[in-house]
Amino acid sequence: MSTAAGVPVAEIPLWGRLARRVVTSSAWRTLGPFIPIVALWAAVVRLEIFPRAFFPGPVDVLRAFGDLTYKGILPQYLQDSVVRLAAGAAAGVLVGVPFGLLIGLHAKSYRFFWPLVIFFQAIGDIAWLPILLIWFGFTLRTMTFVIVYTVVFPVVFNTALGVRTIPVEMVRAAQSLGAPRWRILGDVFVPGALPNIVTGLRNGLGYGWRALIAAEIIVGTSGIGFMMFDARRSGSVVEMLLGMIVLGILWYVVDGGLLAPLERATIQRWGMVTDG
Amino acid sequence: MADLVVRSLTKTYFDVYTGQHVQALRDVSLELREGEFVSIVGPSGCGKTTLLNIVAGFIPPTRGEVLLDGRRVTGPGPDRGVVFQSFALFPWKTVLDNVAFGLKMRGVPRAERDRIAREHIALVGLAGSEHQYPHELSGGMQQRVGVARVLANHPEVMLMDEPFASVDAQTRMTLQEELTRIWEAKHPSVLFVTHDVDEAVFLANRVVVLSARPAAVREVVDVPLPRPRSWTALVEDPAYKRLVARVLALVRTPAG
Repeated sequence: MSTAAGVPVAEIPLWGRLARRVVTSSAWRTLGPFIPIVALWAAVVRLEIFPRAFFPGPVDVLRAFGDLTYKGILPQYLQDSVVRLAAGAAAGVLVGVPFGLLIGLHAKSYRFFWPLVIFFQAIGDIAWLPILLIWFGFTLRTMTFVIVYTVVFPVVFNTALGVRTIPVEMVRAAQSLGAPRWRILGDVFVPGALPNIVTGLRNGLGYGWRALIAAEIIVGTSGIGFMMFDARRSGSVVEMLLGMIVLGILWYVVDGGLLAPLERATIQRWGMVTDG
Repeated sequence: MADLVVRSLTKTYFDVYTGQHVQALRDVSLELREGEFVSIVGPSGCGKTTLLNIVAGFIPPTRGEVLLDGRRVTGPGPDRGVVFQSFALFPWKTVLDNVAFGLKMRGVPRAERDRIAREHIALVGLAGSEHQYPHELSGGMQQRVGVARVLANHPEVMLMDEPFASVDAQTRMTLQEELTRIWEAKHPSVLFVTHDVDEAVFLANRVVVLSARPAAVREVVDVPLPRPRSWTALVEDPAYKRLVARVLALVRTPAG
């Protein structure tokens, strides 16, 4: 075994091998880039450029995390947000994928719905909030509407696009092998469009996550967004920072723990995208 | 017994870019007897693929008809399996599942269709690759899967649309020899479209030469070369050379 440069492994000193072991580990790859950021943050706090109450340090945030977790507030809010995201995403997928397939496969539906899809996609999630507050008030229904709305459009858009970019020969091959129409849907169009469906899901969930936090800030009675906005009343910057960090970590977990493995098991395995 | 009959096919389509009607086929008739291998050659862009697409049922003719065992072709069906230039394998299915696809679609039970699929994977020389995905195979191997996928489905005719045009020259020669071997073993009826005159003559019992667009049948050339055929034997064979020269002349000179 030798390195890319052709140097035999035995000639690299022990510390070098150790360093390489650390650098190639997955924990390092995930956390490594954050070390300088956190260090810079701690340094700025240490220099006391800003008053501590306005600009708390990593240790303060960690303490708030322990505190709010102990009191059960953070787990409860986190659960509320995640359940809303999951419900919205599920609804978005259940509506978005079939609707995307319809538009992608049926020329007349495409002509009719495509302009509508483009139009309503442009009216951002938050732009709906004022009118939803009038219709539904400060309720869960408002939040559900916003998140489903946000997830649906990217899923519809990308599913339809995926269906329309499947090579015609692939469909013809299925037909001339005796596949009935309804089986071509499940055996050719859905898997063929899967790379795009996954992209749509990724975008949709990403937008949905943001829309949810915005909705929680405005509508909320619970959830991470609510926690952050509520913290302004007590002037608790530390809770706001904690909320921001939780948002980032949670997305990282959803992406790395759910979407990326799904991608690896399907479209990467099938060679339909280049390995990341 | 006439198996596949192509009768007076004419195809005119409207080109949206030039705003003109273009005639691709003009009164094309030909016959493919059961168990026969017929190549179709013609100048580039003459309408060979259009002809094959009509026989496959992918596009309708403007006039004329295609009959298979006396039944009129109205759309694609498992009685006419197609091998595509682009392979058109399903990337999300393993080699085994690609080859078994047609049987699955037609309701053959799992054990039975896997047995038939394995048999045909072995026939095209890919035994051991059953659980690989298409992207893990070379172009030549992918097209072997394409052939196995059609033959496993036992079509009455195998339609091949420039199937070896996108593999390298040496692989192509191997695949051509393999195809003659398979044909000699199983005698499927094959309609083979190509622009490569050597390939057309090497493989076929008869070569149908089409004219430049709009394609019409220029001549049908019999290929009485003995089988089994191999490139090593044929490349110096005077009878083969004469046939190739004749077909090439027909393809390259405009009809008088």
